Amino acid sequence: MIQLSDVWYWIHGEQILSGVNLRVEAGDFVCLVGPSGAGKSTLLRLVHMEIFPSRGKVKVTDYETDSIRAKEIPLFRRRVGMIFQDFKLLEDRDVFENVAFALWATGVPRKRIKKKVFQVLAEVGLSHKRYAMMTELSGGEQQRVAIARALVNEPFVLLADEATGNLDAEATEEVLELLRKINRKGTAILLATHSENLVSNIPTRIVKIHEGRVSE
Amino acid sequence: MSMNLIYSFREGFVGLRRARLASLLTISTVAVTLTLLGIFLVLTFNIQRVVEHFKSRMALEVFLDNSLNSDEIEKLEERLRKVEGVDTVVFISRQEALEQFRREFGEDPLDLLGENPLPPSFQIKCKQEFRSHQGIETVARDIEKIEGVDEVVYRGQLFRIVDRYSRIVLLTDAILLCVVFLSAVLLVANTLRLTILSQMKTIHIMELVGATKRFIRRPYTIQGVLQGGIGGTIGSLVVWGFEEGIRLRFPQLLEVFPLLILSPLLLGFLLGFLGSQLGLRRFLKV
Repeated sequence: MIQLSDVWYWIHGEQILSGVNLRVEAGDFVCLVGPSGAGKSTLLRLVHMEIFPSRGKVKVTDYETDSIRAKEIPLFRRRVGMIFQDFKLLEDRDVFENVAFALWATGVPRKRIKKKVFQVLAEVGLSHKRYAMMTELSGGEQQRVAIARALVNEPFVLLADEATGNLDAEATEEVLELLRKINRKGTAILLATHSENLVSNIPTRIVKIHEGRVSE
Repeated sequence: MSMNLIYSFREGFVGLRRARLASLLTISTVAVTLTLLGIFLVLTFNIQRVVEHFKSRMALEVFLDNSLNSDEIEKLEERLRKVEGVDTVVFISRQEALEQFRREFGEDPLDLLGENPLPPSFQIKCKQEFRSHQGIETVARDIEKIEGVDEVVYRGQLFRIVDRYSRIVLLTDAILLCVVFLSAVLLVANTLRLTILSQMKTIHIMELVGATKRFIRRPYTIQGVLQGGIGGTIGSLVVWGFEEGIRLRFPQLLEVFPLLILSPLLLGFLLGFLGSQLGLRRFLKV
């Protein structure tokens, strides 16, 4: 499903990734573990096609970095969910609007939006807070809103970039449990983290990344 | 209307509110500049109207040889009608010329000279496309070559002055239009820049969730068009007020057609659209 073939990435003369080969199958839960600056975020951004390899190729289902057209990228992104350490939520909107935003932006009819948002909020356990503003939510809850937004378009893979980096132990456990639940339903997860302790408790495939090179 | 479009319109209006001060400044500037432009257009149109009216009344006087008999004068009239640029030809006999002289100067040449010294003549008016200094000169030259014509008299200098000043007015209009338009376009673009800068996070999230370029750009386009449109509406209202005010005091002075009054509004929409596209191209890399 996701295939990185001899991927190199450099920017402003700095080598970020060197000859990365990685394969993620449908339903996999892969943890990408490495220290800060190892290239984890770069790798996720390549999979999300925000950036493109300097050399090599990234293939995600039928989309390939060397052949995808600019017009196809928004369509592709609707099938690849992504969450971040800083949540990237809209503070001037409530929970419902933050999640619905992903559907508005893709032209889904109003009736379906309401139904889908309620459904996905129930999935992440936030139905009771659907009209709360971001400032009224804990970090863990905010990350669950971000997960709901990433899930609402039914992606086949969820990319998580240090998704628990800003959370306390309890919230981290909640988010990880939620990711496991999502994964059990068939969505592949690619979780990037610097914390080896975090992944030690998860029965997942662990891929180590160090100075731009990956190893399993 | 799809959610997509509702969202775009809502964001367009919200954008105006978010960059409130900049929007207000842009709308005011657009309103002032388009008002000035609108008033200038009304005045120019009316100046042109007066000039055209004046030109249409100006005629060439073609004096004939005193020796021509009536058959020869008739043939000459036929030839004059065929000259390119000639619109109307009116014959003025020696007797008619004498009466006209008496009317205009209050004296009788017969008393002074004992005979009528005035030759027969034709009064010629030119077609509209020949009502310029060069046009009338061409017609005069062609008529002078005709046998039996003694002299062609016209107010060439006056035509030259009228032409020159009406050209200056038109040129000023064109320059003013360009300057006003360009500055208003840049203003709208700059206001959008402020909105876009304050919205970078939202834009990034839009990209993240798979919004198309068109969806991301549309609210900003709407915002630009709204700024131009509101400014233009104010401009049109003021121009309408100006025209009505003048009309109340001097009913015959101005003639205005609706497009002229609506021109600030239409230009406002156009420059709002262009300004937004410029702003998006310069500041939004999606």
